[in-house]
Amino acid sequence: MRVNYSTFAVAVCCVLLINLPIKAQVNSGESVPDVTRTIALTNAHVIQSPGQIQERSNVIIRDGLIIAVGPDAVIPFDAIEIPADSLTVYAGFIDGLSHTGIPQPKQQPEQERPDDPANPPNELAGVLPHRDVRGLLDPKDKRIASMRESGFTAAHVVPRGRMLPGLGAIILLGGDTPNEMVYRGETALYAQLSGARRMYPGTDMAVIAKLRQLYRESERRHRVEQLYNENPTGLERPRYDPVHYAMFPVLEGNRPIFFQTDGVLDLHRVLSVQKELGFPAVLTGLSQSFDAIDKLKSANLPLLLTLELPKELQKDKTEPPTDSTRATPTDAPIALPEVMHLDYDPDLRVTSFTDIAIEKENLETRRHMAYKTHVSNAATLEAEGLSFGFSTGGASPSDLLTNVRKMVGEGLSETAALAALTTTPAEILGLTSSMGTVEVGKMGNLVVTKGSIFDEDGEIRYVFVDGRKYDVEPPKKSSGTGGGAGANPAGTWSLTISSPDGEIAGTLTINGSDDDWSGTLIVEIAPEASPLEYIALTDNVLTFSFNAGGFGTINSSLTLDADSMNGSFDVPNVGPVSVSGTRTSGPEKSTQFYD
Amino acid sequence: MKLKTVFLVTLLSIAINSVAQEIPTGDLLVRNATVLTITNGTLENTDVLIQDGIITALGEQLSASQEIPVIDATGMYVMPGIIDAHSHIGISNVNESSAPVTAQVSVGDVLNPYSIAIYRALAGGVTSSHVMHGSANVIGGRNETIKHRWGLLDPDELRMAGAPRTIKFALGENPTRVHGRGNNKRPASRMGVEYVLRETFAKAQRYQEAWAQYEENAKTNPRAIPPAYNSQLEVMADILNGDILIHCHSYRADEILMLLGVLEDFGVDQITLQHVNEGFKIAPELAEFGASASVFADWWGYKFEVYYSTAYNAAILTRNGVLTSINSDSGELNRHLYHEAAKSQKYGDLSDDEALALITINPAIQLGIGDRIGSIEVGKEGDLAIFDRHPLSVYAINQKTVVDGIVYFDIEADTDDMRLIVDPESTVDTVVLHSHDDTHQCLYEGSLDLYDFLESN
Repeated sequence: MRVNYSTFAVAVCCVLLINLPIKAQVNSGESVPDVTRTIALTNAHVIQSPGQIQERSNVIIRDGLIIAVGPDAVIPFDAIEIPADSLTVYAGFIDGLSHTGIPQPKQQPEQERPDDPANPPNELAGVLPHRDVRGLLDPKDKRIASMRESGFTAAHVVPRGRMLPGLGAIILLGGDTPNEMVYRGETALYAQLSGARRMYPGTDMAVIAKLRQLYRESERRHRVEQLYNENPTGLERPRYDPVHYAMFPVLEGNRPIFFQTDGVLDLHRVLSVQKELGFPAVLTGLSQSFDAIDKLKSANLPLLLTLELPKELQKDKTEPPTDSTRATPTDAPIALPEVMHLDYDPDLRVTSFTDIAIEKENLETRRHMAYKTHVSNAATLEAEGLSFGFSTGGASPSDLLTNVRKMVGEGLSETAALAALTTTPAEILGLTSSMGTVEVGKMGNLVVTKGSIFDEDGEIRYVFVDGRKYDVEPPKKSSGTGGGAGANPAGTWSLTISSPDGEIAGTLTINGSDDDWSGTLIVEIAPEASPLEYIALTDNVLTFSFNAGGFGTINSSLTLDADSMNGSFDVPNVGPVSVSGTRTSGPEKSTQFYD
Repeated sequence: MKLKTVFLVTLLSIAINSVAQEIPTGDLLVRNATVLTITNGTLENTDVLIQDGIITALGEQLSASQEIPVIDATGMYVMPGIIDAHSHIGISNVNESSAPVTAQVSVGDVLNPYSIAIYRALAGGVTSSHVMHGSANVIGGRNETIKHRWGLLDPDELRMAGAPRTIKFALGENPTRVHGRGNNKRPASRMGVEYVLRETFAKAQRYQEAWAQYEENAKTNPRAIPPAYNSQLEVMADILNGDILIHCHSYRADEILMLLGVLEDFGVDQITLQHVNEGFKIAPELAEFGASASVFADWWGYKFEVYYSTAYNAAILTRNGVLTSINSDSGELNRHLYHEAAKSQKYGDLSDDEALALITINPAIQLGIGDRIGSIEVGKEGDLAIFDRHPLSVYAINQKTVVDGIVYFDIEADTDDMRLIVDPESTVDTVVLHSHDDTHQCLYEGSLDLYDFLESN
């Protein structure tokens, strides 16, 4: 009988062991339960909040929350201890706005033509203020992991679409199911000056007109609804419709419109319509905002600056010559703009076609200055006393930290940069009581780095989301020990371009060596080969641009890994389109054959 | 860093110092010029004094404060800034071609102060443009009257504040092609165009009545329910009220008479016909209605409905008492509107003042701003073009263009790179032979496959 009892006990234990993990699975989503949910980072350099530093401190996380921070914080007996003597701990970054977790539809459905393009259904026209992003989340979206590896732990995400794509949500960048990711829903209405294709509203001016109509009619319906709710007797029943009703919280001031602005003209247009209608708004995007500083100041709206920057051309990396060998054109004195230490001559007037080389050089200098102005946009906003958070919408995850560092390189203070990554988006999104700083009671959202996040050499080691640890692989330094310093793009590559209209095959040919490349691109839909411009290889990233006719100039960035490449074409007005390729012939390929 | 020449830099600092919406104005004394006033003949050896953007004195040897900048215009000709009554420069959208009626949209919502076409217009002495919606729709969007204040970066600073609202209508081939042939919708014929006009005006009347009834009810019933808001019919109602001026793209005499009949039935009496190439056939009828005309000097034959035309059109209309202007509809042609006006002397023997009126006071009146610009008179706004020879001479070259008393174009300061904005990703050696603004754009930018027939436009 004793044996039987013990067998029974074992059986009970087995049942418990089997049951427990299943229960835990519901909570953490892992097949094996966490042994402990207590983690101690010890002896770390802790940036509690921008400008607030704690040396040699322990950070203790338990059950998803920060429970202690400080030199004397006691390490609990059940904690997994992570020695962090040479590491820095930051609050997890918060993305102000993006489509993270909402994958781009692989194949655009065949464009449906409405019966009447003047009056298309809301779904086709892109007027969907009632659509909830929570129904669109995909935890497998690759951008979630890549954003996390750049230090982002939470994101404000909105649906993709046209004029009014829908309602946003705050998500955590970790979790295995959509529900696990959602932190808060119905945060904001997302809007952009983006017209429908071949139907109303097709142009920016029609989008603005449509917004006015929708807003004014929603105001009327809101009033009618109030009258009816006070006393329905004697009044015709107001008809429910999701589109106008989704505007009611906006009219009541309880739901801000996060309005995307791409470029300064968008910014002016959005500010005008916002002022006219008076809805609560947060401005996002804000590229070129350096040209509308006064207007931004008087508008006094919360700002989310995109982390997308113009492509850095190879020429931008080397400072243009400032030497005296440059030919002086006419007798006009060369005026040096104070801001740039470049010799752009605003008064240049060439008198003959023989001077065109001088004019071209002058224009190139001006373009370079424009590049610098864009990169220093964040610094300009800071200098003008305009506070802003960062948003990652439009930017490739692999560029996020690089671009923050470029902005810091152009004068943005590290304190302001960190605030834009943590505390300011937390304020704008109403998250200050749970996120944005490394303080007791806040969520266990942390970024742990070796070196400063703002240094070229700074590396993210761990990211904690909701107290869960994610290891980050240090980025590969140009494939290995010194010898690999030359990923060689030369050769012929077979490309697959994943356009919104389906996959397109292409052939990329790169010739040359070191910093003297040339090449062509042939895609199946255009018979003519496009010559490549501004070809550059930095570490193992190949960048170039080419003219694609009606699509305009496309900038490309492809990461090489032996005989394969992956990256994207940045198509104007379409956005990044992913591209992959394999080498079909070339020096490296042939070398491998002989090896 | 963006602006270069001294006056532009000064100008920008004025803009920055001023509170938003406050348009910078300047003081200027133009000395000893031949002044073509347009409305009061030609004055020799005359000074023009502008203070705070307004012409305050005309006469010989005017005395003015030492601080006022002086232009010595000895041997030069000063005319009022040229006004282009039909243009599509400085806007990001031209046509919302998804619907035959789009009165609710306005190109004023998409002004683009960075457009280099504005500077090029200044180089041709043009100080104001009536920037219009395109001609894809029977009732298109609203237009915007702008002043060429190059270098001011807020789109609102381009607007000519206080200018009456105007709207684009279009008859004939364009709307029937876009909506009839393109979408299999009304209008597919000229009859359909009339139907769309009448139907929309009738709806606007119903809309007015519904609101009037509501307002009446609301006086006694606090729980009265307002009718549905309709931004399109709001605009149409304002046309019926006489608050918005119609500028209608039109070519053929028959369709123009049809339009006049429709307007008469709905009690609308303010109309400027744009292009109106067959206007010469019905000039007395136009004069009787009080309609005015804005024409090309000698341009036609670019599609079937424009085959029957004459370079005498402007002169015939003028002689028949129709208020007439000559417009460009183009970012190229607007740079030599003074040549276009001069053609009315070869074809029709108009006097100098009559010819110049075609590009100054007449378009100003058509836009409802004839009391503010279009001639050189005390009390009018200080918009001038200063030519080295008489502007009707083929040898004339514009030297300086003044808007609100500020020199916005000076041939001496016209350097190679006058752009206000630069694309940091652009490649310098991109040569654009035909820019967006150079082309006649009436049918550009819609949601239809317009490009295949643009060639024939």
